[in-house]
Amino acid sequence: MKKLLSLIICVLLVCGTVCTAFAADETKIVFCVNIQPQLPLEFWQSIADRYMAANPDVKVEIIGNPSSNVTLPQYEKTLLATDQFPDIMVMQNPADFVPSGALLAFDEGDLDYLTDPNVGKIDGKQYVANYKKQIIGVFYNKDMFAANGIEVPQTYQEMIDASDKLLEAGIIPFSIGLKDGWPQGQLANMFAGTDLLAKDPHWGAKRNADEVKFNNPDLVKAMEKYQTICTKYAGPNITGLTYTQMLEQFFTGKAAMLPIGSWVNAEVAKAEQDFEVGWFPIPGDEDANVVSVFVNEGLSIGADTKYPEVCKDFIHFFFTDKELYGEFLKSEQLFSTTKETVEYEMIPLRKNMEEQISTMQEVEGFESMTGDDAFLPGLKDYFTNKMTQNIAIGADVASELDAFDEEWEIAKEAIDDAA
Amino acid sequence: MKHNKLHDTLLVAPGYLIYTIFMIIPLGMCFFYSFTNWDGISKKFKMIGFKNFVRLFADADFYNALKVTLIITVITVLIYNVLGVLLAVILNRKNRVCAFTKSAIFVPTVLSSVVVAFIWSYIMQTDGGVINILLGALGLSPIDFYATPLRTIVMISIIISWNGLGLFLVIYVATLNTIPTELMEAAEVDGANGVQRFFKITLPLMMPGITINSILSMAGGLKQYDHVKVITGGGPGGATQTITLLSVEKAFEYNRRGYSSAIILVLFILIVIVSALQLSITKRREVKY
Repeated sequence: MKKLLSLIICVLLVCGTVCTAFAADETKIVFCVNIQPQLPLEFWQSIADRYMAANPDVKVEIIGNPSSNVTLPQYEKTLLATDQFPDIMVMQNPADFVPSGALLAFDEGDLDYLTDPNVGKIDGKQYVANYKKQIIGVFYNKDMFAANGIEVPQTYQEMIDASDKLLEAGIIPFSIGLKDGWPQGQLANMFAGTDLLAKDPHWGAKRNADEVKFNNPDLVKAMEKYQTICTKYAGPNITGLTYTQMLEQFFTGKAAMLPIGSWVNAEVAKAEQDFEVGWFPIPGDEDANVVSVFVNEGLSIGADTKYPEVCKDFIHFFFTDKELYGEFLKSEQLFSTTKETVEYEMIPLRKNMEEQISTMQEVEGFESMTGDDAFLPGLKDYFTNKMTQNIAIGADVASELDAFDEEWEIAKEAIDDAA
Repeated sequence: MKHNKLHDTLLVAPGYLIYTIFMIIPLGMCFFYSFTNWDGISKKFKMIGFKNFVRLFADADFYNALKVTLIITVITVLIYNVLGVLLAVILNRKNRVCAFTKSAIFVPTVLSSVVVAFIWSYIMQTDGGVINILLGALGLSPIDFYATPLRTIVMISIIISWNGLGLFLVIYVATLNTIPTELMEAAEVDGANGVQRFFKITLPLMMPGITINSILSMAGGLKQYDHVKVITGGGPGGATQTITLLSVEKAFEYNRRGYSSAIILVLFILIVIVSALQLSITKRREVKY
């Protein structure tokens, strides 16, 4: 009996070894994705399945950030540090990875199917196939505005007046929460866009060249406006509110305005609220003509991949399979980045947004500027998790911006040391 | 029984191997990286001497994290040990109420700290949290547990203690059961009252338990990560950040693995010093009979 058992084990071992040897010849690529409620693992797996059906000799393995407590960039940094960096990945801040040589630059012409294949180039090279455009602005409760005789504000002062009216009526004007670390940063991005980047869209590159400082009159003004909204008009519970609770506060009619990104259209599309939702860009001192746009996210290829051409083909497949890309855009009612029009079922508010921004000046979202304008590695997290939180609870704006400049010095020194 | 050296070595080898792979080597790497400017993802880095340590001791975030960590450690050590000893003495009786109470206190210990933190973050919600709903039903005004960093840190310390008290209680009850009943009976015959018996007999004879529990609770407090990560994420603006949270933030968000290693090395030294001090103090008070 023992002999028979030993024989079976030996045969299994030999078979296993042979199979592994054959399997090693298979083209296998690992795709690291951004799993979120609107884009669950099943969605990403369906992309892999469709590609594998069209390319039977390629195997695509999907991996994703294991928990909502670990952000995608954190997870990708862990993979890189442990020699498990994927072949293809959703990339949110390439500026953190490019200095370490982790990403493969696309060749000229690789991304010709995109509207702007040059957006976000770093040192003249493109590392990300940008797959979506998102805008940030203010969602508002139209019924609540009408009931209180409030028109859509066209200037910052009008927005403050509207907020005062709402406060008098016992309504929380803005739904903002600090507990998750990032949502409050969107409002800070909006003000930085209208007061700083609208004047100088490539201010980021100047900061990176150390020609300007974060502590400058325009950014001070922007952050003071942001502080005013957070400390006076965001209700008493700003520190304890999560992103989900922010949404709940707005969609259940407890707060009148929600300053956030266009991805919230996915929530509006569910149509669970019993009021009409509108949208406007954060107004400046004179008018409301600037909109902040995020174009920082897309697909990148790992520099050490064994199959760069397969990876490029996979990315091409993602963008050119209209049904697939349409599903992706529909998930958050996104703006397409491809030359060819991709149709999907849009909600009226999303169409209205597109009409509104068609005549506006577009600037990049401050924290997620791309290419040579991008923050140095680590500074995006400092901006969202530290500076904007401190300012939101009343810290001195100029001191916080000075501290941000000091962080810049440390990040710059690290880059110089590594070089 | 004769000892065979080879036999003994083979028996302990797996343990030593695991300890070396998962403790000694990472600690050595941490020590090494703390003197580098490694960003955690690049293949190259430079030796920068004590630069990380110089920057660390001038870093306001580090001192704030140290303060938060110490507050949590002091509160949890006090609750685990003072309340733990008292509860052990009170509940060390053989009846159903005591058995049920001990079980009830032990139940949270088997729950994952992350699960506990999630449960409590819902309980503590200012708007719609269980505590505030109950307060509202009693006609009282709601409590904003996140109103100030100190209030949040104290609340987190209480949650940590609720989560872990059961284990400390079990150790104290076990220690109590090692005290010979003859000593208590003799003291009673000699006319010692309950308080005298507690301070003169029970407490000195519980010292071995107090030694182990105080070291465990102190090290746990200094290493605190998961509850704070789930409940506040260290915010707002790092105001409730512990040393371990700060270290992870520096490594994985700011790309400063060398600096992060320096933070962990300082924490390690701190734990070693405090543990050694604690051990020497409590060991001296242990009584032999």
